Amino acid sequence: MSTSATPPGWAETLLRVVLGPGDLDSVSGDLLEEYRESILPARGQRRADLWYVTQVLGFVSPGACVGGALFGAAFVARTALDWFAPPSDFHARANVSTELGVAILLATGFWAAWRSHSFVGGTIAGVAAAVIGAGVSLVGAAALLAVRHDPQTMAAILGSGGLGEVFTLPLMMVLPGLLLGTVGGLAGAAGRKLHSA
Amino acid sequence: MAETLGAFEQAVLLAIVRLGDDAYGRAILKEVQARLERDVAAGAVHATLERLEDKGLIASRLGSGTPVRGGRARRFYRLQPKGLRALNDARAAVDSLWRGLRWPLKGSV
Repeated sequence: MSTSATPPGWAETLLRVVLGPGDLDSVSGDLLEEYRESILPARGQRRADLWYVTQVLGFVSPGACVGGALFGAAFVARTALDWFAPPSDFHARANVSTELGVAILLATGFWAAWRSHSFVGGTIAGVAAAVIGAGVSLVGAAALLAVRHDPQTMAAILGSGGLGEVFTLPLMMVLPGLLLGTVGGLAGAAGRKLHSA
Repeated sequence: MAETLGAFEQAVLLAIVRLGDDAYGRAILKEVQARLERDVAAGAVHATLERLEDKGLIASRLGSGTPVRGGRARRFYRLQPKGLRALNDARAAVDSLWRGLRWPLKGSV
């Protein structure tokens, strides 16, 4: 057993960011104790580091995974509607889907900050949700295209902005994820502080 | 009326009961993993402990650190009367559901 072996510094920093001050010492101490006493001797440095990173991501990711899945599902649903039931005017749909996306990212940031007592947790969760959502969106859009690509559908795709938009827009959501996650995070951290007072 | 507990919440509360004065985060995690016979993320146990404490089912206090923890404090958990009631109610509910049946169930499903 080593009392000097250390897990990846960046993961420790991330843990400090997402945990509230009341939990930081006890949780990081628990992880360090398990890392040094059980995981490192049994698995070696590289796999022990991977274990540590996975555990730290577990403190960040539950809300981000849910938020990302919802964000991606909303994008895929909007894409399916535009391709298979194209409207004459996209404005109403665009407004609804934009507001839904904003609400999901704000809620993700709020929830993460509420849990971690830190608005930075909201920022990280917002970015993570946007990245996960982009992955879901790209896979979903590719699946839709594989299922239906008849001339009528291809015309509808062209009319709704084209394939380029469908496959690049999700990747551009990281910045909004950062901003909205931070805004939701600020609200969540403030709400948690008021709730605890 | 006592709190309704999920299966994972029961696992965490029962780990605290079993560990007694040694019920701190890592020990609870290992006890839950041993009883459920699967890997459990530290974050899942931590979130559950936080939720149970918010509901008043458990209470916590900080203890001292050790060299292997880099001197970082341990947080020890203790069952509260409300938590004890919730666990007893959960057990009674399961017993009631199973009353009159022989375990393990037999026959084709």
